[in-house]
Amino acid sequence: MNNPDYEKLPIIRDLSQNIKKIKEISGGSSDVLVNEFVTGGIKCAMLICEGMLSISVITELVFEPITHILPKKDSRELFNHIQDNLLLSTDRPEINDYGTLFHLLNSGFAVLIADDMDKALAFGVQGFFTRSIQEPSGEGNIMGAHEGFVETIRINMSMIRRRLKSPELVMELFVKGGKSKTDLCLCYMQDRVPKELMDKIRSSLDKIELESILSTGYIRPFVENDKFELFSSTGTTERPDVLCSKLIEGRVALFVDGVPFAIVIPRLFCESFQTLDDYSFKPYYATFIRWIKYGAFIISVLLPALYAAIVMYHPELMNSTLLMLLVESEKNTPFSIVTESMGVLLMYEIIREAGIRLPKPVGGAVSIVSGLIIGDSAVKSGLISTPLLTMTALAVISGFVVPELNPSVTLLRFAFLAAGGIFGLFGIGLLACAVLVNICATEDYGFPYTAPLSPFKAGGMGDTVIRSGMKKMQSRGFTVEEYHE
Amino acid sequence: MSRISRNQFSALLLITDAFALFCLMGNISLITIAGFAAGTALQFIMAFPIIRFYSCGGGFGSKWVQIIYFVYLILWGGLLFAMQWDVSQFIYIPYSEGFRGKLLISGLIAVVCLYISSTGIKTLSRAAVIAAAIGAVCLFIVAVSSLFHAEWENFSRAESAAGISEEMMKGFVLSGGLGSFVVLLSMTKGKPMKNAAIYFLEKLILTVVITVTAIIVAGGIMEAADFPIVTAAQLSQPFPVQRIDSLFLMIFAIFAVFSIAVQTVTSAYLLGEIFPSFRKLRSTASLVLMIGAAFALHGTGRYIRIYSFAVAAALLVVPSIMLIQKKIIKGR
Repeated sequence: MNNPDYEKLPIIRDLSQNIKKIKEISGGSSDVLVNEFVTGGIKCAMLICEGMLSISVITELVFEPITHILPKKDSRELFNHIQDNLLLSTDRPEINDYGTLFHLLNSGFAVLIADDMDKALAFGVQGFFTRSIQEPSGEGNIMGAHEGFVETIRINMSMIRRRLKSPELVMELFVKGGKSKTDLCLCYMQDRVPKELMDKIRSSLDKIELESILSTGYIRPFVENDKFELFSSTGTTERPDVLCSKLIEGRVALFVDGVPFAIVIPRLFCESFQTLDDYSFKPYYATFIRWIKYGAFIISVLLPALYAAIVMYHPELMNSTLLMLLVESEKNTPFSIVTESMGVLLMYEIIREAGIRLPKPVGGAVSIVSGLIIGDSAVKSGLISTPLLTMTALAVISGFVVPELNPSVTLLRFAFLAAGGIFGLFGIGLLACAVLVNICATEDYGFPYTAPLSPFKAGGMGDTVIRSGMKKMQSRGFTVEEYHE
Repeated sequence: MSRISRNQFSALLLITDAFALFCLMGNISLITIAGFAAGTALQFIMAFPIIRFYSCGGGFGSKWVQIIYFVYLILWGGLLFAMQWDVSQFIYIPYSEGFRGKLLISGLIAVVCLYISSTGIKTLSRAAVIAAAIGAVCLFIVAVSSLFHAEWENFSRAESAAGISEEMMKGFVLSGGLGSFVVLLSMTKGKPMKNAAIYFLEKLILTVVITVTAIIVAGGIMEAADFPIVTAAQLSQPFPVQRIDSLFLMIFAIFAVFSIAVQTVTSAYLLGEIFPSFRKLRSTASLVLMIGAAFALHGTGRYIRIYSFAVAAALLVVPSIMLIQKKIIKGR
């Protein structure tokens, strides 16, 4: 993406020409305010972007001292005086071109320009309204902190710093997006992440030439493998405590301004089954819950397919009671089992999508209509059999146990259902091979997605097959670099 | 080609061995177990030249060696397809009847194998470890549940139609995957001797567990069973009213795909070495040749002696010549 013409254009010395240029570049935008005044005997102007800064802070900390400066010989002496003798804000960059001027102005800085001066001074007095810190909506937790990330990148950075006070924690701010000029922040522990990995991630990010970056989904393809991957090899979290644990394990985080999620690089398959609560409960209970999650994952992907395959092609695998029950319920339904299952799954996806997009009060009504009215009447009218609806509902609910994998699980459920419905258990076996190989092929920056299962790392089993006690885990000193191939 | 670990090497080969055992026809008795164990030991002894060759730093340099192993892998891949067709008549696979059915099932397996081979040996070996682990768990369930239905007198009741020498030959031939053993051993990390020894030991354990399970469960009806291992899996149920054949069926499909994928990946690799300019359709060409070989070799399973010569050639004769050649060159 080519930069606009003004990006590298130096600041014009003449104040009136300078202001004219600024107005020309901004197109006379109503929120760019130019306040002309005289201080130290020099004609100046203070530029602000309305709504982006705190009026009380700028009045008290900038306007008050800056308008009481004694006469100066020229504008250079005036700027030197302001920079050397007045501490107007903690963040005071100097500006040489219009690209930087507009980036800072639109980020909530107050910018001072003066007559006969080819530089501008910026003062960090940001004060725009932001959402307050709230409990994360998608990563529920019982025993841990109830704080989630917000849309403001600097608040998110501070939430991490508050938990990791080590000087090894590095936060690199940079800007991407030709038009949006979005702030991004790479966050890592410099003693845990190899320099080569950081270089590779930076070079991946250098390839971004997007005009705007409005969500993590804009960035993730650039830090992921180009191959077709069913599961994403980068993760996201909206919990600062979870992110801290990832950083300590030697992972790299990427914040995007305006997004209450952080991208975690790399992500492993087994991590999708780990939650912060696992480390709050007793190990035996945490291990039990973890296996429930593994089971739920298998059920959510395979249950409708197994049901269809066994009922259609391998009824001899069922005991007689179950077989009679299913025959009794299926003989009254007009469609084949695969059509029925597909229909129920599609209906559920439509209802779910409607529930998400609609305003919350209406969303609740959708749930009632779908669950009570459509579901109940579909069974009573004989369109759908009760066992099939039970199986499908169980599969769908199981998918919510591991929310991060839910998009992939949803599609896999359909694919396995088709395979099982056409070729029975043999078809499921074939598709399972392809999916297994796809998962094993997922790899980013040399970190296999399936580690520590394959390539097998015995040390990793303590937090995969079981959840070892904290004392044991403490002695291990794990970093993700152990899995690098 | 990427290097693989010892576990991955064993997993790739054991899956092929297990699949060949699943497809085993004829009676199994104590003589069979003894014959198979002796056959495995013989394989290990016969593998010494190739182990020595790799220990001396030898590689797959010579074209004629590559061609011999390529042909061997294609033939063995074809036999695996043929075995799968035979068993699919016994464990119900929809649409598998007749010539079209065979083609359809082969085509499906080939498509999955093509995808697998496109990801490379590193990915295949990672996936093989997980598949082997799942298979081991299922085998454990079947073996444990077989104890509840065990009829120990089956050991004396089950009779083998063949003598020890013939059973030994059968056990020796059963692991036609030794062609991929020779190819994969060259790309496995660690000492070739240790890698081979561990593999053959694991193979011996696997063979004994599977055959013993088959005898104690299906020994009484061995005469009537076409595929004793499949029958044993169907009869050994852990719960009185719930069958677990579905597990076996899925494992059968997964092992079938992985076994053929191993032959595809290794033969495609050799094809690339033989014709360096032939890059794009190597896996497809290998699979087409394998399916062709399957039609040609279908029903030839009784020619054990011919197959045993082929296995011996792949495992002993060719590596011995390679080793002697290397010694001569080194001597000069």
